[in-house]
Amino acid sequence: MRTLISLAVASALGFTPLLFTSQSLAADNTANSDQAKIERLQQKIDELSEELADLDTRVNKTERHTALDRITFSGDFRTKVHSLHYRDVTWNPGIKMNFDDFGRRAMAGEYGDPMDPTSPLGKMMAANPDMAAAFMGGQLSGVMPWALGSTNTYDIDNDLFYTTRLRLDIKANVWENVNFAGRLSMYKNWGDSTGVQVFDSWRSFSMDGTNSGNTSGDWLRVERAYFDWKNIGGSEFYLSIGRRPSTYGPPSNIRENEQRGGTPSGHLVHFNFDGATLGYNLGEITGIEGQVVRFCYGQGFESQWGNGELFGNLVTEDTHLGGFNIDVINDGNHFVQLTLFGAKDINDGFKGSMAFPNELAAIFAPTMYQDMQKFDSFNFVTRVQPSGVIGDMFLGGLGYVYESDEDFKAFASLGWTRAESNGNAGMFGGLLTDATFTGKLSADGSELMMVPLAAESDAAHDGYGVYIGMQMPAPYGKFGLEYNYGSKYWSPFTQAQDDPIGSKLATRGHVVEAYYLFEVNPRMFIKLAGLYYDYEYTGSGTPVGAPVKVDDVMAGSAVSLLPVVDTAVDLNASLTVKF
Amino acid sequence: MMKTTHSIGLGLLLGLILGSSAMAADGGNPKKGKHLYKKECKTCHSKGDAAGELTPMSKTMAQWDRFFEKDMHKGKPEVFQKLSEQELKDVQQFLYDHAADSDQPQTCG
Repeated sequence: MRTLISLAVASALGFTPLLFTSQSLAADNTANSDQAKIERLQQKIDELSEELADLDTRVNKTERHTALDRITFSGDFRTKVHSLHYRDVTWNPGIKMNFDDFGRRAMAGEYGDPMDPTSPLGKMMAANPDMAAAFMGGQLSGVMPWALGSTNTYDIDNDLFYTTRLRLDIKANVWENVNFAGRLSMYKNWGDSTGVQVFDSWRSFSMDGTNSGNTSGDWLRVERAYFDWKNIGGSEFYLSIGRRPSTYGPPSNIRENEQRGGTPSGHLVHFNFDGATLGYNLGEITGIEGQVVRFCYGQGFESQWGNGELFGNLVTEDTHLGGFNIDVINDGNHFVQLTLFGAKDINDGFKGSMAFPNELAAIFAPTMYQDMQKFDSFNFVTRVQPSGVIGDMFLGGLGYVYESDEDFKAFASLGWTRAESNGNAGMFGGLLTDATFTGKLSADGSELMMVPLAAESDAAHDGYGVYIGMQMPAPYGKFGLEYNYGSKYWSPFTQAQDDPIGSKLATRGHVVEAYYLFEVNPRMFIKLAGLYYDYEYTGSGTPVGAPVKVDDVMAGSAVSLLPVVDTAVDLNASLTVKF
Repeated sequence: MMKTTHSIGLGLLLGLILGSSAMAADGGNPKKGKHLYKKECKTCHSKGDAAGELTPMSKTMAQWDRFFEKDMHKGKPEVFQKLSEQELKDVQQFLYDHAADSDQPQTCG
């Protein structure tokens, strides 16, 4: 437009013939010079207009993309190979019999005539002549172990065990003070998507709280999904409800080479919970950076829905958890965390699925075992639910993480767990106590079965755990060392840790870990690690059953329904990419 | 066991071949940058300040890089001019590491 005006003005003025005087020449040069400037400016304007039009088109696309794509994805992908070596694995199956109760019932004729070889008691005595002789000789009284097989000790080497873990993190802004976060995760071992494992340990039990840390196949699970409603009513309160970010908490995130991965202390809680958190950013008042007080609530077990409640014969209770999780300070160099939780109405297990081990069928289900022997490599998959409430639990902890400006990290965490048994027990025991068994006739009166009568003890037990470690910059990356110890009754909720041998932080005994992280680039690293487990007591990772010395099981003086590991080594190498 | 040794050896070799410093592009120290950010930036850019609240989350990683490469706090250049080149790198690294699209700690609230 300006060009047209310029041309019009120029033509209006310039078509008049000029006298070639020096003055007119100078004026002509000036005009030419101005004209050139105008043309250059005009060219610049045209170029800018073109660029603006191009930018406008691009920004429109970006705006549209932002408006329509309300979710942002990030994540990580890990390939890992383990070499697993178990030493002195011992299986000495047995139960603790209450021979006083059993004898009283037997003498009352409840199990039939002991002299009649066809009676339930007669058949049982015929099948167990040594026990029968000892019992008739009065050598068995009170509560005593009854071995249901011979002690067998062996080593296991799994030289190559590959896993793949995919985690897709989801974020979405709902409103200026409301956001949604989630994580979909797939964790599988190579060549297996059955999603269920033969029940040879509590680790192998597929259940809601631990699925994210247990290889379960090639499908994505919702590991976490929750919203945060911040600054409620202009205050420093926030509310968060959903499947909680309750895994990979500090300081357990350091060995994962990632930032804090969850809210609660990873030393005490590494478990997928559904629940809510009401938090208050106290630091805004005290001036202490990162200071947050949180009240957390969750439900770990639903006792009715889905459990056949319409038959009206349920004896379990909902398990509710509640407590405080306090970040005392979190300023980038110092992190102090206080934890105090309680769990009301712990049951003797969770809902879950397992491939039933034929070994247990041989002991407890002889009739079924008759047919199962015909299908040696078949294990029926079954849904399991607990059989009753066994007590209450409490957890407490104090953790400290130091990070220097030069990226040196050191941490120490002290944990405490307390289990208060109510005297009840299921097949695998009560709360940190064993079940005592007695005899009971089957419904048709043809078979004498062993059933749990009560817990051996209703005492409360305190457990203690220590977790210390460091990570330092090293050539090409980082070097880390960690050590943790758990006492006889140590029972944290860390079963969702994805260590194949079992959650290292749940170990009743000692674990040492050393690792080297090679930083390929800021979003990709290789980790080489070695873990050595030395179990002192049985039952790591479960509060069900009395912990007994591993040495006693190996010596045959203590029994265990599940195999017991003495020591184990996990050598592993992994490659992780973050995107 | 031998296979394991091979696997670990391969991993070690890869690490040595591919390994590079974990520090970000410009060699800034994010922790030192945080101290400087609190001291130099938050004095004018806290909540309610006339200059407007500014946190690392105010920009993306690329936007922070552009800010330090091109803008250099041109609204008040003396703020950047009094900082050394290394200090600027430290602040840039901190803001980059905690930008809106960076990896964030995963906690509720």
